[in-house]
Formats: sequence, structure tokens, C-alpha cells
Amino acid sequence: MITYEFSEEQEMLRQSVREWAAKNLTPRVQEMEKNKEIPHDLIKSMAKMELLCPTVAPEYGGSGFDAVTAGIVGEELGRADYTASTAVFYLVQASWAYLFDKYGTHECKSKYIPPATKGDAFIGIATTEPGIGSDLANMVTTITPNGNRYIVNGEKNYISGVREVKQYGGGHVTIARQNLQAGTRGMTLFFLPLGLPGIDITEDEEMGREAISTGGFHISNVEIPKENIIGKEEKGFYIVHEGYEFARAIIACVCCGAAMKSLENGISYIKERNAFGRPIGKYEGIQFPLAEHYTKISMLRDLSYKALHMIDLEKEGKASRMEVSKTVAMAKMICATWAMQAIDDVMQWQGAFGYNKECPDQAAYRAVRSFTLAEGSKEIMKTIVARELLGKEFITYR
Amino acid sequence: MKVIVCVKQVPDTSEVRVDPETGTLIREGVPSVMNPFDQFALEEGVRLREAAGGEAEVIALSMGPPQARSALMKALALGADRAILLTDKVFAGADTWATSLTLAAAVKAAGKPDLILCGLQAIDGDTAQTGPEIAHRLHLPQVTYAEKIMLDGRTAVITRQTDSGYEVVEVRMPALITCTPPADFVPSTPPYSAITRAKKKPYEEWGVDKINIEADTLGLRGSPTQVKRVFSPPRRDTGVMLEGRSAAVIAGELFQALAKEGIL
Repeated sequence: MITYEFSEEQEMLRQSVREWAAKNLTPRVQEMEKNKEIPHDLIKSMAKMELLCPTVAPEYGGSGFDAVTAGIVGEELGRADYTASTAVFYLVQASWAYLFDKYGTHECKSKYIPPATKGDAFIGIATTEPGIGSDLANMVTTITPNGNRYIVNGEKNYISGVREVKQYGGGHVTIARQNLQAGTRGMTLFFLPLGLPGIDITEDEEMGREAISTGGFHISNVEIPKENIIGKEEKGFYIVHEGYEFARAIIACVCCGAAMKSLENGISYIKERNAFGRPIGKYEGIQFPLAEHYTKISMLRDLSYKALHMIDLEKEGKASRMEVSKTVAMAKMICATWAMQAIDDVMQWQGAFGYNKECPDQAAYRAVRSFTLAEGSKEIMKTIVARELLGKEFITYR
Repeated sequence: MKVIVCVKQVPDTSEVRVDPETGTLIREGVPSVMNPFDQFALEEGVRLREAAGGEAEVIALSMGPPQARSALMKALALGADRAILLTDKVFAGADTWATSLTLAAAVKAAGKPDLILCGLQAIDGDTAQTGPEIAHRLHLPQVTYAEKIMLDGRTAVITRQTDSGYEVVEVRMPALITCTPPADFVPSTPPYSAITRAKKKPYEEWGVDKINIEADTLGLRGSPTQVKRVFSPPRRDTGVMLEGRSAAVIAGELFQALAKEGIL
């Protein structure tokens, strides 16, 4: 059985991030949600805490975190920012800078990663297209070699961080079809700076996590240099999953943080709030769901960190790709649903205030809802787990 | 220059709740933190070391159970050069008298410092006695309530809080200074690189054998005072709030209210 134990450094980092967030982040969440923006000075403060692209090698401005340590930061941001906006800002960059750092060229990494670690750029991911979510094989965006350069055409949507890239610079790790006959086997991954001519960005409105932008972009005859190719040409489909798995495991930690914080809010409330002459925490109708949610989120937390630990073990050759995929998918499959169930009950305990805009838990509920979809829907997670249990001949899409 | 900063691990009082039935403090599950006054003292110590340059050194010193290591590891992450934890069963249960005896002996054992910095008080006991007692035991001059410390050769120039404002005093080193943060002080939170560096710095645990003091004079046995009960004072009604108008109007209303009560 694979187990993990937090090191003293990791416990210290958790405490440090918690203290930092209590002073610098939580008091500003309401303002952030209202203004629909993470203030730049807060992003710079995150950079000072070395929380941006933290797995990246120090050579490119990172701190060389392992995956478990990156998960700790995700959990703490999930606790501290009940809209999850900063958690999304953090985890998207952390995951895709992780992949970029691992497979990108020195020239491209040197240009784009150090500003992102300083809070002066954003690194995102762009795979989804209109009508194409998990079914990547049918995407329409193409990348075509043209001498020493490549031409990209197509469209991406539901992409986090488009406004942040417009404001600060940076770009998105993007996937497109290069060999049009080869399906998923002909895809190439590359870094697409969104400031290039031929890119037209639009923004969407979402039901939650409003301080981080979501939108899309049209790509019309955009030229990128060869150095922007990430990994080998036409092998993008295989390596993009490493970024997704990293992101999914951190999302599970963010959900744990959000749900545990909400349960703590609920515990304080049900001890104080009286109904029919006693605190409502004395009623089994409140106690039983509290016990169940606490148990489930504790189990989820263990599974989430186990998934991250396996990502670390894979680097040492001690866990296989498939084992990592399965464990991550197990955590991602349940994380948002279980967190939503917990937060939903905390809202219910608070009566009408639970539905009030001033109640942090309703914002957490709206935020966590996104994680049933983001970085791979819970349904796709189930197909991954089933694939590992039944064998590849049972893959749904073949 | 050598600076010793005394650091205490305390329960995070922002998390401490009161049992509504017994009125006693519920300490279970309350996280431990570095005493905030001590963190300010430590950050002042590190700042003075940076300003002094050369071979200046900051030593973080604490007394407590083995778990108090985490407060010292934080001190190292915040910039202390080395740390010493006084941990021994005979130190347990000490009041400020026995604590200051132990800490003063440890200061002597750690070598002659130019400055000893303490937090004004610890947020769990709020006595503000330990720092001044250490100074007394070491026959050192002391300055309390320091908000700002500047060094001028062997003299420390200190801006200290008073009931009516501030005063600036000078003291020849070696000296002991108790520190209290200004209103705009924002405690640092160490990033991961500082934490990993902290793990590589010297950290020692000392028992009673290291400080050369009779065990009978230490800990609970050496403490002339003992805590009988910790409780929360009865809740008072909220006072009258004057708000929502201009400062001049509020000042007028406040004056009238105080005059009506016969206070002015």
C-alpha cells in the first residue's frame, strides 16, 4: 500500500500559507468577487510567497515543489478563498507550468516561465473547443509546419485566464491537430502567446469563481516558432494528460479545503444557533450529515494526497502511468460532488442566510460546482477508472 | 554582534473558545503559534543583524515541550541563524520567576550577547514579566515597550511606547529590550525557500545539564506562583457606538456624553 506523510517543511509551508492567506487573501475575497478581478498586488504577494508555478525548477524562477507540496498550497487556497478564484489561478498555472517545464524547450521556457513565477504573466491551458470537450480526437484547431515556423488556425473556448494573459502577458499551453489522419495520435502541444497577431479573445460570464476570467479565442493564421513546440510533434495527446492529472489532483485538494472550511463554518454556526430551546447542533438531523460529510472529506483528502504522492513516485519510476491516472481519476471523480454535498448542507443549516450573497458558503458552492467539469468531467473520470479495471478493450470511445 | 531573541510558542488565542457552561478556556484542538510579540522582536533582531553586517548572529531561544521546536523552526525560516530549545521535564510548570531563571542561565550558556530581545508579553499569560526578570537576573539594563530600535556603535537608540505617546531613549549594550509591534507591523510569512533553508541551520535541544542550575529551583518546584484557574470574565454589554457622522460631530457627542456621566 502506498502511504505518504507530510514532512516538517510541508507542515511549515501549510502554516505559512495559512497565515499569509488569513492576512492577505481572505479579507479581500468579497472585493475580488465584486470587481471580478484578482488584484495585481495580491498576485505579486503570491509570487513573493513563491506560490506561482511552484514546481518549476529554480533555474526558471520556481521553487521545485513536489506534487504533494503543490497540493498543500491548493488545499489552503481552497480554504482561504471561498470563491476559489485564486485557487484556480494557482492550480492552472502550477499544472501547466509543470508540464511546460518538463517538456518545453529551454528558449521558450526562459522567455515565458520566469515572468509567470513573478506574477507578471499567466500560463494557462487551451484544449476545449466549441462542441469539443473531452472528445479531443474531433477537435478542429490545426497546427501546420511552415519552414522553421508553424501556422495555427482554429478556436478554443472555456479557457481560464484569458483576461489575465491580456493584462499581464503570457499564454496558453495549447493542443491542435497536426496529422489530420491520425486522430489523437497526430496532435501537437505548443505554447501559444495570446498577444500574437491573429488571436481574438472573448470573455464569458460564469456562475462562480468570478475573479478569474474564462473565455475563448479565435486563432487565424497565427505563426509560432519551432521553439514553442512542447514535447515531440504529434505526441501532444500523450503528454497533455500529465498536466491534466496534476491539475485534477490539485483540484481535489482545493475541494477538500473548501469543504472542510465550510464544515468548520457550519460547526461554529450549529453550536450557536438555537431552535426550540437548544443549539441546532444537538439535533441528530444536523449531527448525522455533519459526521458523514466530515468522514467523506477526510477520506477524499487522503485519496487526493495519495494521488499527488503517486505523481511524485512516478518521477522516481515507482508508480506506473496507469496507476497514477486511475488514482487521480478516483479523487477527481468524487471531489466536487462530495464537497458540494457538504457545502450544500452547511448552507441549509444556516437557513435563509445560506442563500444570501453575503454567505461565503454559497460562493464556495458555486465555485466547487465548476470542478465537476473543469480539467475533465466527473463522467470522464469514471471512464478512466473503469478502463483501468476492465482493460483497454473496454474503452468507451473505441 | 550577537542578538538573542526569546521566543515562546503559545496557543493561537484567536482560535481559543470559551466553554459557555464553565467559563473556562477550551484549548483542545487549538493550534500553537509563535507569540506575535516575539515574532516582531525576532524580525527586529534580523533587521539589526542585516544593518550591522559583518559577523552578526541572531539566536532564537525558547523554553517549552518538544513541540515548541515548530516555533523555533519558524524563527529560523524568518532569518534567525541558529536556535536553541530548552526542553526538559524539570522545566515544566514554570511561572515567570522560574522561566526567567532558566532563560537567563541559557543566555549565559549561549555566550555573551550584545542584545537580548523579548516580546513585550506572551498572549497566553499577558504578564510582561519574563523579559524584565531576565534583565534583572543578568544585571543588564532594560528598555521595555520598544517599537523601533536603531544602533549607533555600542548604543541602542530606542523609540518606546508610553501612555502619552513615544519617548526615545538610549541604552549602552549589552542590554535587554522588550518589543511591541507598531500598528502597521505586518508579520512576515516565510516562503518555501526560507523554510528549506531553515532546516539546514543549527538547531539544538538543551536539558537542565546544559545550564548549570539546581533542578529544585526550576519548573513547578521553583515557581512561587501557580495558576489556580483560567476563566473568561463575564460578558459586558456593548457600549454606545457613535458612528456614521463626521469626526467633529462625533467628538461633540462624545464630549456631551462624558460630561453627562460626570467624567469630564
